[in-house]
Amino acid sequence: MSDRILKTADAIREATDQVMAKDPSVYVIGLGVPQGAGGTTNGLKQKYPDRILDTPTSEAALTGLAVGSAIAGLHPIVHHDRVEFSLLAADQIFTQAAKWNYMFGGGGPVPIIFRIVIGRQWGNGPQHSQALYSLFGSVPGLKVVVPSSPAMAKGLLIAAARDKNPVVMLESRWLYGIKEEVSEAMYQVPLDKAQVVQQGSDITVVGYGDALYTARQALELLGEHKKRVELIDLVSINPIDHATIHASVQKTGRLLTVDTTNGAFSVGSEVISKAAQSRVGFVDAPRGLAAPDVPCPTPPSLSEFWYPTKVTIANAILEMLGLPRIDLQLPFEELHLPPTTTL
Amino acid sequence: MLLLRVAEEELVQLYLDEKLFSMVHFYVGQEAVGVGVCSQLNPDDKVLSTHRSHGHYLAKGGDLKRMVCELLGRSNGAARGKGGSMHMIDKSVNFVGSTPLLGSAVPLAAGVAFEEKYNKKGGVAVGFMGDGASEEGVVYETYNLAALYELPLLLVIENNTWSVNSNINERRGKKYDIATIAKGFGLPYLRADGNDFNDVSTKAAELLKGIRAGGGPAVLECLVYRHMAHSTPLMDDKQGLRREDTLERRLERDSMKLMRAELVKAGSTEAEIKDLEEATRREVREAIEFAKASPYPQQEEMFTDVFYE
Ligand SMILES: Cc1ncc(C[n+]2csc(CCOP(=O)(O)OP(=O)(O)O)c2C)c(N)n1
Ligand SMILES: [Mg+2]
Repeated sequence: MSDRILKTADAIREATDQVMAKDPSVYVIGLGVPQGAGGTTNGLKQKYPDRILDTPTSEAALTGLAVGSAIAGLHPIVHHDRVEFSLLAADQIFTQAAKWNYMFGGGGPVPIIFRIVIGRQWGNGPQHSQALYSLFGSVPGLKVVVPSSPAMAKGLLIAAARDKNPVVMLESRWLYGIKEEVSEAMYQVPLDKAQVVQQGSDITVVGYGDALYTARQALELLGEHKKRVELIDLVSINPIDHATIHASVQKTGRLLTVDTTNGAFSVGSEVISKAAQSRVGFVDAPRGLAAPDVPCPTPPSLSEFWYPTKVTIANAILEMLGLPRIDLQLPFEELHLPPTTTL
Repeated sequence: MLLLRVAEEELVQLYLDEKLFSMVHFYVGQEAVGVGVCSQLNPDDKVLSTHRSHGHYLAKGGDLKRMVCELLGRSNGAARGKGGSMHMIDKSVNFVGSTPLLGSAVPLAAGVAFEEKYNKKGGVAVGFMGDGASEEGVVYETYNLAALYELPLLLVIENNTWSVNSNINERRGKKYDIATIAKGFGLPYLRADGNDFNDVSTKAAELLKGIRAGGGPAVLECLVYRHMAHSTPLMDDKQGLRREDTLERRLERDSMKLMRAELVKAGSTEAEIKDLEEATRREVREAIEFAKASPYPQQEEMFTDVFYE
C-alpha cells in the first residue's frame, strides 16, 4: 500500500503544515489545538511553537481575536471542535467576519478559516451532534465547504488559505478516519464548484460531507442500476453550485437530495427549491432524504433510526426508479462506529 | 461520598467490560466537592451541573438506578434514555439538570436563583462549573448580572487545573487571580481544599449563610484532582501531561483517603468502614443489573418530548 494513503485527519494536518510552511501569516488557534485537535494538528506545535495556540475556554474571545487579526492582515485558522462550541462565537463569525468587507463598502479582506467539526457518533446526543449546515449556508459573506474525503479536505484547506475571505470548513468527524490516496503536492480544490462523482442517466443524487460518503456506499447496493445514478458532491454549500445540479437533472429528470441533518430548512430543500424554480424538467417529484425533525438522540438504539443509511438511500433511489426495495439489516459497527474505509 | 466513588468505580469497570455507548466524564477524585457543597443545601435548594455530572447528581440525592439506566440508554433513565451521561436530571430532589456546554449552566443557575427570589421562595441555586468553564465570557457576565440582582446563587468552581488536556497554565495569564476577580465584581469568595470534605462543607456553609441572609451571589473555588482521563474510563498518566498532579500526589491527597482517616479518627472501625463499602457496592451492582434488564427506548420515542405536552 502506498504511504500516501492518508486519513482525513492526516490530510488536514498535512495541508495545515504546508500552508504554514509557505505563509508565515497563517497560525492555528483553538481549544486544545496543541494537543492535536482530533489528529488534525498532531506534531505541529513542535514544528511551529509560536503559531499553534492553545486558548482559555473562551470561544467568543478567541474567535474575535482571530477575526481582528485577520482584519489586521494575518491568516488565522480557527478550530472549534464542535459546531455547538462555535455558536458561543456566533457574533464574531456571522455578524463580524461575514459582514466586514460589505458593511464598509469594501472595508478590506478578512482572510480567516473556521474549521468547525460536526459531531456524529454514538453517545453524542442532542447537544453534541447538531449538524447546522444550513445555518452557515444561509449567511452571505461566508464561503462554506464540506469535505467528503481526505484528498478533498486537503485541497479545500489549501484553497481556503489562498482566499482573502472568511471560509468555513464544516468537517464531519464521522469521516476523520476514512482513507484515500492523497497527493503530496500543494494542490487546491475550488471552493465553489460541485463535483460530479459519477455520471448516470436516470436520477441525480446530491449530497455533501458524510451524506455524500454514505450515498457513495449506497450505490454499491444497486447492482446493475448503479450506472443509472448521477452522483453529485456539493463540496460547497455557500454558494451552492446550482448550475452543475440543474444540468444534471435536465438529463436525468429525477432529483434526490441527502442530508445527514434535520430535513427542515436543509441544504437539500434549498437544492430542490432552486431546481424547481429553474424548470429543470422533472419527470417525477424530487425527494429530500434527511434526518427527522427532532434532535439527534443519544443512545444508539435511537440514533440508529435518525441518520440516513446506505440502505435508506439505496431504497429511496430504487423507489424513484420504480424498482423494488432491498431489505438489509446493517451491523452495529456500521451504524454507530465511524468508518475506516479506504476510498 | 462513598456512593459516588463506588458508583464510578463500578461504572468504569462496566465501561471497560462492555463498551458502553454514552460519552462519560468520571468524577473520581472530586467527590468531596459535590458532597461537601450539597451537604450544606436544603432539599428545596437547586443544583445545576456540567458534563461531569454524576457526582453532583448523586450528591443532591438523585436516584442511582435512574442514573445508571440513563448511562446505559434505557427508557427508564433520568432522561428517558435520550440524554446519556451528560444530561442528568432529577426534579424530585431539585437537581435541575446538567449540560455539557461549558459555562452554559452558570447563567441558567442564575435564572433559577432569580425565580427563587422572584417568587420569594427563600431557596438558593448552586451552579457547578470546572476551571475551564469558568473562563467562558458568559460566566463573567453572570457574576455581574447576579450581583446586580442580588441573587441567591452559589457558584462553585471545581478547579482540577485541566480542560481536557489543556493545563491551566496554558490558559491563563501569569497573574490571573479569581479571588481578585470575584472581589472586583463584589462577590464573596472562598477557596477550599476540594479533596477535603470538611474544608469544602465549612466554606460552603459560610458562603451560603451570607447568601441566605440576602447578601447576593458568592463564589466558592475548590482545588481538586481529576483522577482519571478527561472522558474515558482510563487514567491518562502515560501521556506525560501530569507534571504537578502525578498519580502519587493524587493518591496521597485522595478525597476518600482523607475521609477514611477522618472516620477512623471519629471512632469508626476498619470493619465498619468495610461493611459500609460492601453494602454500597452491592447497591451499585444491583442498580447496574437493574439497568441492564431495563428496556431500550422504542423507535417512536425519538419523536416525543420535542415539546412539553
Ligand atoms: C462551550 C464549550 N466549549 C468546549 C467544550 C469541550 N469541552 C468539553 S469538557 C471540556 C473541558 C472542561 O474543563 P472544565 O470546565 O475545567 O471541567 P472538567 O472537565 O475539568 O471537569 C471541554 C473543553 C464544551 N463542552 N463546551
Ligand atoms: Mg477542569
